[in-house]
Amino acid sequence: MLRTRCAMTCVGFLALLLADIALASAAAAQTYPDFESQWKTLNADRGDAWDPSKPPGLAQQPPLTPEYQAIFEASVRDQAAGGRGNNYKSSCVLDGMPRLMSLTAPMEILIEPRLTFFIFQNAFVRRIHTDGAPMPQDEPPSYQGHATGRWIDENGDGRYDALEVETRNFKGPRAFESSGLPLHNDNQTVVRERLALDKSNRDILHNVITTHDSALTRPWTVHKTYMRERNPRWEEYSCQPPPNAVFIGLGEYRLSPDQKLMPLRPGQPPPDLHYFRQPQK
Amino acid sequence: MLERHAIGIVILAALLPMTFVPAAADMKYPDMQSQWRNPTAGRGGNPWDPNKPMGLGQQAPLTPEYQATFEASLKAQKEGSQGNSRGSTCEIAGMPKMMNFSERMEIVIRPNIVYFIPVQVPTRRIYTDGRTFPKDAPPTLGGYSIGRWIDEDGDGRYDVLEAETRNFKGPRVFESTGLPLHDDNQTIVKERIYLDKSNSDILHDEVTTIDNALTRPWTVDRIYLRVRKPIWIEKNCHESNPHLRIGDEEYFLSADGKLMPVSKGQLPPDLRYFEQAAR
Repeated sequence: MLRTRCAMTCVGFLALLLADIALASAAAAQTYPDFESQWKTLNADRGDAWDPSKPPGLAQQPPLTPEYQAIFEASVRDQAAGGRGNNYKSSCVLDGMPRLMSLTAPMEILIEPRLTFFIFQNAFVRRIHTDGAPMPQDEPPSYQGHATGRWIDENGDGRYDALEVETRNFKGPRAFESSGLPLHNDNQTVVRERLALDKSNRDILHNVITTHDSALTRPWTVHKTYMRERNPRWEEYSCQPPPNAVFIGLGEYRLSPDQKLMPLRPGQPPPDLHYFRQPQK
Repeated sequence: MLERHAIGIVILAALLPMTFVPAAADMKYPDMQSQWRNPTAGRGGNPWDPNKPMGLGQQAPLTPEYQATFEASLKAQKEGSQGNSRGSTCEIAGMPKMMNFSERMEIVIRPNIVYFIPVQVPTRRIYTDGRTFPKDAPPTLGGYSIGRWIDEDGDGRYDVLEAETRNFKGPRVFESTGLPLHDDNQTIVKERIYLDKSNSDILHDEVTTIDNALTRPWTVDRIYLRVRKPIWIEKNCHESNPHLRIGDEEYFLSADGKLMPVSKGQLPPDLRYFEQAAR
């Protein structure tokens, strides 16, 4: 009787251990979809158009409020006149979210159990927190915002299929694309994403992005598509303003061929020089 | 007899994890996957050799020509200029200075690549897949790094990552004092990266720089401290940069976004191209 009990205990112990091992294996390499790779946009012909199914600029037909539609149109006019409009990237202000996900340069994904990294060639690394922890209360707002994500096993096969991400806690100014298509300056944007491999082609990654923003009359959903690059190459990127551009505060100026400050447009006032005590040269 | 079987099952159960747990993957690398911080960062300077003061206190083994270049940089900085330092342009530092990590960085290990992921760009990749230096890669400030893992004590677990970095462009400096590397950009940087034997929360990077501005290879032991509760703060050099250059003249930007002189008595910029007079 004692021997039988002992044997049963041992068999039970073995069964538990095998289950643990199976779980440990599943929790390691088998759990996550094959996202770890370099990815490039499949919509490069559209530039950085936010909705890649339409040309950039006014043709995006974004669902902007009348106030922000007017801001957008002013940006387009300013750019047509040689200015930067709402596109602050020329002074190396960070793109932030959601614009980052247009992938104007390659991106690499690395998956760790608590954190998924989006490593961009030409932008700061984006971290998606998948550990279930809430956003730290004292985290300062940022252009990228704070991203929390969760892995989804849609078909119950024990392997995750999709990564759902929600990003909040922004600062600005931010725009959807280089045309200056604006987000609201209250920075209360919420960006929801769903990333999943194409079911028929594992070298295609879909990202369905929905932006909730006070500049929009309704949530705006676009579908980005990325293509796997199996022989990745990386270029070194260091953001530098154009050599003839001078940015003083929010003012944009130009450098003349004789290296003197000049206005960007006719009638532009000169910069404030009240910190200088001596008259100008 | 049954007891023997039971004992056998228990032994088998004890051995099974050793067989099936992914020893070939995560288990063979040292515990470097973490956020790390440079203990000398944020103290008003970031010396290349962390055991010596910045500037001339580094006692860098420079050739007479590059010692003169260095001293000229220090003199220019004393007068309010940037000297050889490129920090005010927000240009990326390149190797080896990028291993100063004034902000926190994270290490992620994959079988073919080790990633050093900083707060800002660029992420550094050390290729450990046995490749050689590519012949057609354009030179960069960060160079191209290949590495190999070493099991020094033969216990089946790697202890050290050895890396070699070549193929540079410039200008590059060791530290913000403008301590220069040679402008022929033939630098070779060799590193040994390993956990401290008595404290695995300390990471060493023994960096040896071979450069024509130096009279001999220069080795420093940089250390990083493990951060167990990582935080990430977005910090854009361009946003926090108070330096501005107009032509050959340097200026400051005030907190309220206005132009300021960098030195007493500096004249304001020439505004002859503006229709309106300065306010």
